[in-house]
Amino acid sequence: MALFARTSKDLIIRIDDFIDNVELGLLVFREGLKSYLDKDREAFNRHLHKVDVLENNADRLQRSIENDMITHSILPQHREEVSRLIDELDEIIDSIKSSLKEIDIEQPDIPESLKKDLISLAETSANAAEELIPAARAYFKAPYTVREKLIKVYYFESETDKISTTIKKHLFQDIKDLELSRKNQLRYIIHNIEKISDLAQKAADLLSGMAIKIMM
Amino acid sequence: MILLFLTSGLFLGWSLGANDASNVFGSAVGSKMITFRKAAIIASITVILGAVIQGAGASDTLGKLGGVNAIGGSFTLALAAATTVYMMTRISLPVSTTQAIVGAIIGWNLFTGNRTDSGTLSKIVATWITGPLLGAGFAILLYILTTKIKRSAGIHIIKFESYLKTSLVIVGAFGAYSLGANNIANVMGVFVPAFNLEELDLGLFSLSSSQQLFLLGGIAIAIGIITYSKKVMETVGGNIIELTPEAALVVVLAQSIVLFIFSSSALSNLFVRFGLPPIPMVPVSSSQVIVGCVIGIGLYKGARNINFRLLGEIGIGWIVTPVISGLFAFFSLFFMKNIFNVEVGHKITGLNSVPQTITGAADAEMSGIIRYLLLGILIAGTIAILFYYFLDRKKTRELKVSEEKFWKNLKKRQ
Repeated sequence: MALFARTSKDLIIRIDDFIDNVELGLLVFREGLKSYLDKDREAFNRHLHKVDVLENNADRLQRSIENDMITHSILPQHREEVSRLIDELDEIIDSIKSSLKEIDIEQPDIPESLKKDLISLAETSANAAEELIPAARAYFKAPYTVREKLIKVYYFESETDKISTTIKKHLFQDIKDLELSRKNQLRYIIHNIEKISDLAQKAADLLSGMAIKIMM
Repeated sequence: MILLFLTSGLFLGWSLGANDASNVFGSAVGSKMITFRKAAIIASITVILGAVIQGAGASDTLGKLGGVNAIGGSFTLALAAATTVYMMTRISLPVSTTQAIVGAIIGWNLFTGNRTDSGTLSKIVATWITGPLLGAGFAILLYILTTKIKRSAGIHIIKFESYLKTSLVIVGAFGAYSLGANNIANVMGVFVPAFNLEELDLGLFSLSSSQQLFLLGGIAIAIGIITYSKKVMETVGGNIIELTPEAALVVVLAQSIVLFIFSSSALSNLFVRFGLPPIPMVPVSSSQVIVGCVIGIGLYKGARNINFRLLGEIGIGWIVTPVISGLFAFFSLFFMKNIFNVEVGHKITGLNSVPQTITGAADAEMSGIIRYLLLGILIAGTIAILFYYFLDRKKTRELKVSEEKFWKNLKKRQ
């Protein structure tokens, strides 16, 4: 009996830790992008390193959570979905890391007129993922509140789409003195930032179904 | 020769373990809350404890239906019931050993010209109806209660599941204990008058003649659980309705309550004290109760997800089991008496109702054989449990080491 309790307690802590890592990753992502746009190289490197550590931690936790759920036969009927949810959340932090890493490798020169919009895009996209966090936590404690929490995820995701379209239009239609190759490079940066909210929406869809299933 | 006669009882015990253990741990195993191996170990130990500690009380219940007064008859009835249960188990239908033995006893009554006590028979048949109904009622009530507690308490689902798992093990162990205490009479009850073994002193406690027989029967049930109950457990847990873990707990708990009600003389006395009619002390078919519990939850959740075809098959099994067992017993008794010349019993007139017993000299020899047999089985069982424990520990350790190695290598590469 004590074994069950200890394993469950450890697992709950690890799932919380994992979600904390994703949540922190989103905060660091915002700050990292801002520091790049402010041309504060040192702060950017610090944030990049922090995201790297968080992503590694998340990977380690993901693996140990999945292992323990299988070996101790925990949540047998919902194990597959919980693993998928953790996988989707991990995709978000992976995407954050690769997004910052690409900026670090490519060092894109961002026109002044785009900076404000890019910050707004990053804020909104990260907001969508951030709103997913309380919903994911609620799944484990109060599954009947999950769906109401997910409404904000869908809202921020559609806002992200709108901002992204506006930026792309501005980039390709209004800014004339930029080479097409650089425009393409920026398009991928925008796409990577936008991807965070898309992944949040994907996880929200999964979570929504999971909440219904667990309440049945 | 006596040991040969005992084999049919042991076979019946094995059939009971293979089939009825699913009523206790089937829901937990079917919903994958507990692995079959763990369930089998817990059920085996508690079923033996139940049989040895509390088995004596229920052994005279079936005697009222028909007093089998020859060892050859006991052997044949146990064999007929065991074969019926085995056949039904082969086609994965949860059948009741009580029904099989009741059918066999009626077959013996018909063969020997004895009158079947209609009062006792109607009491038993009545529990075949009230048992599942009570089970369904308790299951619905407990399910509503559990889901309400779960919703209002706001417990983390993993913690909740951990509580459920612990409860399933405790309730399952209690259920298996009750199963051993109640149903050992079906397995060994007919043999008790034929054996007069020396008391077995084990230092801390000693086992009487009937307790030694119950221990043997309990071990046979345990072997049935370990070797053959997996398939039936999966049928009970997964095929009738898809059970959630809390539904699994509710099903086992509701069934245990019903079994408790029909076997507690204290509760029956309490009823009488309050001016209510006494509760009949009749062996309840746990297979029927469990199906009632599962249907109860199914109806509460909306009957759409119940596998009615399987329920129909189980219903047919309920009618077919006593009929087949009775017919099988009748014809077996005929062959045993007329072809093998074995005394299978005779009409009870009041003077000749004492069963055949063995002489004192044979008992001393028999005691020695049974003593060594029991000690051998106990030692083998202990070794098997220790082996399983260390194997499990080794596996966990290996997993931990491989995990550490994986992360170490990953770090090195980075």
